Amino acid sequence: MIQFILNGQEVSSTAKANVRLLDVLRQEFALTGVKCGCREGECGACSVILDGRLVNSCMVALGHVAGSTVMTIEGYRATARFAALDKAYAAVSAVQCGFCIPGMLLASECILARNPRPAEAEIRAGIAGNLCRCTGYHAIVEAIGIAAREGKGLW
Amino acid sequence: MEKISESTRKKDHAAKISGRALYVDDHVPDGMLCGKLLHSTRAKARIAAVRLPSLPAGYLVVDRNDVPGINRVHIVQDDTPVFAEATVEYAGEPILMVVGPVGTEVERILRAIVVVYEEQEPVLDMRQADEVFFNYNYAQGDIDKALAEADLVLTETFQTGYQEQAYLETQGIIADPRDGRMTVRGSMQCPYYVHGAVAKALGCGAQAVRVVQDVTGGGFGGKEAFPSILACQVAVAARKANKPVKVIYGRREDMAFTSKRHPSLCTYKVAIKHGEITGMDIEVLYNSGAYTTLSPVVLQRGLICASGVYRIDNLRVAGRAVRTNTVPAGAYRGFGAPQTFFAAEMMMAHVARELGVDSLALKEKYMVRQGDATSTGGRYHFPVPLPAMIARLDELTGYRAKHRRYQAQTGRCRKGIGLSLFFHGCGFTGSGERDYIKAVVQLRKNTDDTVEVLASNTDIGQGLKTTFCKIVADTLGIGFDRVYIDNPDTDRVPDSGPTVASRSLMIVGGLLQRAAGKLKAGWRAGEEQVIEEHYVQPDFVIPFDLEKFTGDAYPTYSWSVNVIELEVDRLTGTHKIIGAWGIYDVGVPIDLNILHGQMQGGLLQGMGYASMEQMEYNAKGLIRNNSYSDYIVPTAMDVPPLVTEFINNPYPYGPYGAKGAGELPVVGVAPAYIAALENALGVKINKIPFTPEDTMRVLQEVEHNDSIHS
Amino acid sequence: MVNGYQAASLPAALAILGRDTTIVPYGGGTDLMIEADENATYLFLSKIPELKKISEDAGYIRLGAACTFTEILESELAPPLLKTAVSQIAAPAIRNLGTIGGNICNGSPKADSALIFVATDAKLRLVSHRGERVLPIAEFYLGRKQTALAADELLAEVLMKKDGLGNYYYKKVGAREALAISRVSFAAVLDVAGDKIAGCMTAFGAVSDVIIKRPELDAMLIGKTLAEARTAKAAYLAAYDQAIVPIEGRISAAYRKAVCMNLLRDFLASNGI
Repeated sequence: MIQFILNGQEVSSTAKANVRLLDVLRQEFALTGVKCGCREGECGACSVILDGRLVNSCMVALGHVAGSTVMTIEGYRATARFAALDKAYAAVSAVQCGFCIPGMLLASECILARNPRPAEAEIRAGIAGNLCRCTGYHAIVEAIGIAAREGKGLW
Repeated sequence: MEKISESTRKKDHAAKISGRALYVDDHVPDGMLCGKLLHSTRAKARIAAVRLPSLPAGYLVVDRNDVPGINRVHIVQDDTPVFAEATVEYAGEPILMVVGPVGTEVERILRAIVVVYEEQEPVLDMRQADEVFFNYNYAQGDIDKALAEADLVLTETFQTGYQEQAYLETQGIIADPRDGRMTVRGSMQCPYYVHGAVAKALGCGAQAVRVVQDVTGGGFGGKEAFPSILACQVAVAARKANKPVKVIYGRREDMAFTSKRHPSLCTYKVAIKHGEITGMDIEVLYNSGAYTTLSPVVLQRGLICASGVYRIDNLRVAGRAVRTNTVPAGAYRGFGAPQTFFAAEMMMAHVARELGVDSLALKEKYMVRQGDATSTGGRYHFPVPLPAMIARLDELTGYRAKHRRYQAQTGRCRKGIGLSLFFHGCGFTGSGERDYIKAVVQLRKNTDDTVEVLASNTDIGQGLKTTFCKIVADTLGIGFDRVYIDNPDTDRVPDSGPTVASRSLMIVGGLLQRAAGKLKAGWRAGEEQVIEEHYVQPDFVIPFDLEKFTGDAYPTYSWSVNVIELEVDRLTGTHKIIGAWGIYDVGVPIDLNILHGQMQGGLLQGMGYASMEQMEYNAKGLIRNNSYSDYIVPTAMDVPPLVTEFINNPYPYGPYGAKGAGELPVVGVAPAYIAALENALGVKINKIPFTPEDTMRVLQEVEHNDSIHS
Repeated sequence: MVNGYQAASLPAALAILGRDTTIVPYGGGTDLMIEADENATYLFLSKIPELKKISEDAGYIRLGAACTFTEILESELAPPLLKTAVSQIAAPAIRNLGTIGGNICNGSPKADSALIFVATDAKLRLVSHRGERVLPIAEFYLGRKQTALAADELLAEVLMKKDGLGNYYYKKVGAREALAISRVSFAAVLDVAGDKIAGCMTAFGAVSDVIIKRPELDAMLIGKTLAEARTAKAAYLAAYDQAIVPIEGRISAAYRKAVCMNLLRDFLASNGI
C-alpha cells in the first residue's frame, strides 16, 4: 500500500511500486487530464507537480511518491492561479488540439511559482520539456506572460 | 480589420484547458478489451507460418480470416489489406491483432508469437523501384524547342525526406459491437472515410456502422487515411470478440508504422536564353511506400506546384509515385506541395546565382499576376498580392539589405537570411469537390432558438468549431453562445466531406453561411427548423480534366512570403534561428487569433522539416527514428518569437471572403530556411533536412577549397 | 511495498541492498523508467537525507548522490562549471527528477553531469554495509556501461575540488536547444597561476564508449607559460587528433571528430593559446 497526497486528498494505492505514476493516475484514479504522449519522458503531456516541482509522471515509479504530494490538472483547475492562466490562454487562443495543454498549464504554474515575472527566455526554458506540435509555442509563451502581468499577487 | 476577424474565446477552450476534454484513450467502455497489433519485422516476405502460443481464456487472435467483408481498406484505391495475407510488403505491416482484457498479458502473448518469414529482396530505394503506382504528365508551350535553343541549360536534383506528423496524441480507435451495430470512435479527421471503410471491411450496410469522432490531439494529415485502416482492424476484432475493443498506438509504433510525408526526388532542367528563363523540364518522383493510400492525389498537388509561383511559358512536368517496400506515405499538411515548392524555389535561387543576379529580383521578374495562366492552363482569377507582401516583409525584416551584407562575413558565427514565395491551392485538387465529395451541411434550429451546426468536419485543433459557429452566429445575427457544434457523429451529421485540403472553412464554412442566410430569412421563433445546403461549384471555374491535366486545379489560391534569418556556428555546424516571419493572404481571416496560431504552428513545422526532422530507414527497411528522442521536433527554446501578419484579400466566393489556410504556412518554409543557410555558407544546397552534420561537411569543404586556393 | 523499498536512512538502505543485490537503486528514475522492467524491485533513495546533502569541507564540495539536477542548480556551493552543464540537461521536468548519482552510475558516455565530474577529476564515495571507499572517478568507469560499483554498493557522494575550476569552457552539442541527448560534449578547465598553467583538464563526452579523458596529453601544457603553450599547441592538438576516435553511429564519426577538434582549438584560443 503506497500512500501519498493527490490533489489535496490523502490516497493510497495497491499498485506495485515499480509501475508508472502515469498509469496509476489514469487507470486507478481516473485522472484522464494526465495525457500519455510517449512514455519516455520526451513530450511532457503527462506532466504533474510532485512536491512542488514539475515532473513527467511516466518517468516516476509509484514507490517514488510514497509520502509525497502530487497535483494534476484536476486539482489545479480549482485554484485562482488556474483561473488566471485559463483567462490568459483564452485571450490569445493558445489552445489548439489541447493534448499538451494540461501539462503545459502545470509547467506554466511552475514557471510563475518560481518567478512571478519571468523574462521570455525563462518562459521558453520552463516549457522546453512540453512539446506542442500545433502552436509554434508563440501564443503559449504570450499567454504565460499575460498571466504573469495580470495575475498580480497570485504568484 | 473586418469584424468577423476579431478573436473569440474558442468553443473548445474550457474543456481542453481544464483537462475535461475526453480523447479516445480516456474512454473505457464496460467489458472493454485491449488490442495490440503484430507488425511485420520484414520489409518483404512470404508468411510461411504463424505459430501461436496457447491463449489464456478471454484472449483471442484476429487476422485476415476474421474479416467478414473485404480484406481491403477503402481509401482511394482499395489495395491496403486490413490484415496481411500471404505476404508482407513493408516492415510494420499489421499481420494480426491480439485482444484480451489485460494489456500486459496481450503484450506477453504478442511476444510469444513466432512468424516464420520467407524473406524476399525488398525494394527500398525509390530510384530502384520497378512498379509505378501513378504517372501523370502535362506540358505547356514547347519545352523541347526551348531546351534546344537555350544557350544554357541548368540541371539540378532536389531531395526531400520523410516528415512525421508527430501529433501529440497517437492514433487510437475503439470499436463497440453492442446493440447490433458497430460503433467506432476515436482520433480522426474524416469520420465518413472511416465509416465507408469499416462498412466495407465488415461487409455490412452503411446503417450498421456509426462513427463518432473523439476530441483529437492533432492530425496534420496523419489522421486523414490512417484511422480508416486502424478502424477496420479494430472493428473486425470487436466483431469477433463481440466486445468493445480499444487500440491505442504507442509512440514508437506510431512513428514507425503510420503514414508520413512522401520523400521526393525532383530533377529540374532549366532552359536559359539571353539571361531569360525560357523553359523548365521537371521530373518528380515520390516514394509511395508499399500501398497507394493517398499517393495519387498527393502527387497531383505536387506536380501542379512544380513551377512554383512563376510564369514559365514552356513547361513540362512528369511525375511518378512509385512502390517501395517501405511504410506507406500519406497525407501531411501541404500534401505534396512542400516537396516541389522546395525544389522550385531553390532552383530559382540557383539560376539567379548562375546568372549572377539577385535571387529575389529574378523571382519578381517571373512572378505570376492576376489573369495569368496556371501551370495547368487554368487561371489565377483573383488578385495575386505577392508584390505588396514582399514589400511588407522587406520593411519588417530588412531582407534585401541583410541578404547583401551577409555575403561577406568572418568569425565563428555566420548569419544568413532567406526568402520564399509560395501559394496553396485552396480545397480539393481538380473536380473532387464537385464529383466525389458533394458536401452537404445542415443547420438545426431548436425550439429554444439555439442553433446546432451539423457537419462532418472535425476540429482537430485548428479551431473549426469556433470559426463555423462564428460564421453561423454572425450571419444569423444571434449570439455566438447560441450556436453550437458537437464532435461529428455519422448518425447525426450529413457528409460534408473530409477535414483535409484546407477546404473545411472555405467550402463547408461557405455552405454554412448560405444555410444560415436561408435560416435567417425563414426564421420562425420557437419552432424547430432544419436547413440543408449542398455544394455547387462556382461557375467561373475552368473544369479540371485529370486525363489531360488541364484546367483550374483549384478555384483560388492562398499566398505567402516567408523570411527566415539564422546563424550558423562554424565550430559545431549547428543553426540557431534568429527570426522567422510570415505574411499570409488567406482571404479574410475568420478569427485572427486562430489564424495566427495556424500560421505560427505551420511555420515551426516547416522549419523543423528543413533542419532537424530527419527520419530514415535502416538497411532492413525499418524506420530508425521512431521516438521523440530520435525524431527531433522543435521545442520552445528552438524558436524565436514568430512574426505573422495577414493582408486582406477577400475571396468573393468564400464565407466572409475567407480562403483555405491550414496547410499554407508549412508549404514554403523550407526554401526560406535553406536560402538563409546558403546565404550564411555561400554554397548551393539541394536537400532537406539539412542537418548540422550536412552543414559541417560543407564548412569543411569550403575550408578545404579556401586552403587550396590561398 | 510490493516491488519496492523505501529507506529512511543510508544505513537502512545499505542493509536492504546487503540482503538482496537484485534490488535496483532508484535515484530519480529518469533512466530506469524509459524501458521500465515490470519485474524490477526498486530501492527508492530520494528521501534519504544523507544522500541529499550538499556541503563543503577544506578541500571539496561534497554533493549527495541523490541530489537532483535542479537541486544542484539551486545550490550556492555547486561550482559554476557543473551548473552550466546541468542547466542544459533535458528540460525542467527531467532535471527535477534526475540525479547526479544516477547520471554517473548509469555509465553512459553521454551523461552530461558525469562529463564534468570526469573532466575535473572528482572523487566518488561509495558505501555498502561492508564499509566505504573513495575512488577517483577515472577508476569508476571500466568500459561501455560498466562501472566499479558493486551490487551491494551505493554511490553516496561526489567530491569536487574547491579550487582551480573557475576558468572553464563547456559546450554541449545536441540535436536541439532542449530535450537533447549530447552528440558531442566538451568540458575543459585551464588554471593559470601567475604566468604559468597550473592545471589543464579536458574531457569529451558522447564520442566513444566512455568519456574521453587523457590527463597525460593535458600534461603537455601544464607548467608552461601561455607563450610556451602556444609553441606546444600543435603537438597537443596532434596528440588529441590521434586520441579521439569516435564511434560511428547515428551521428557520423567524422562529424563528432570535427566538432571535438574545433572545440578543443576554441578552448585554447579563448585562453590566448
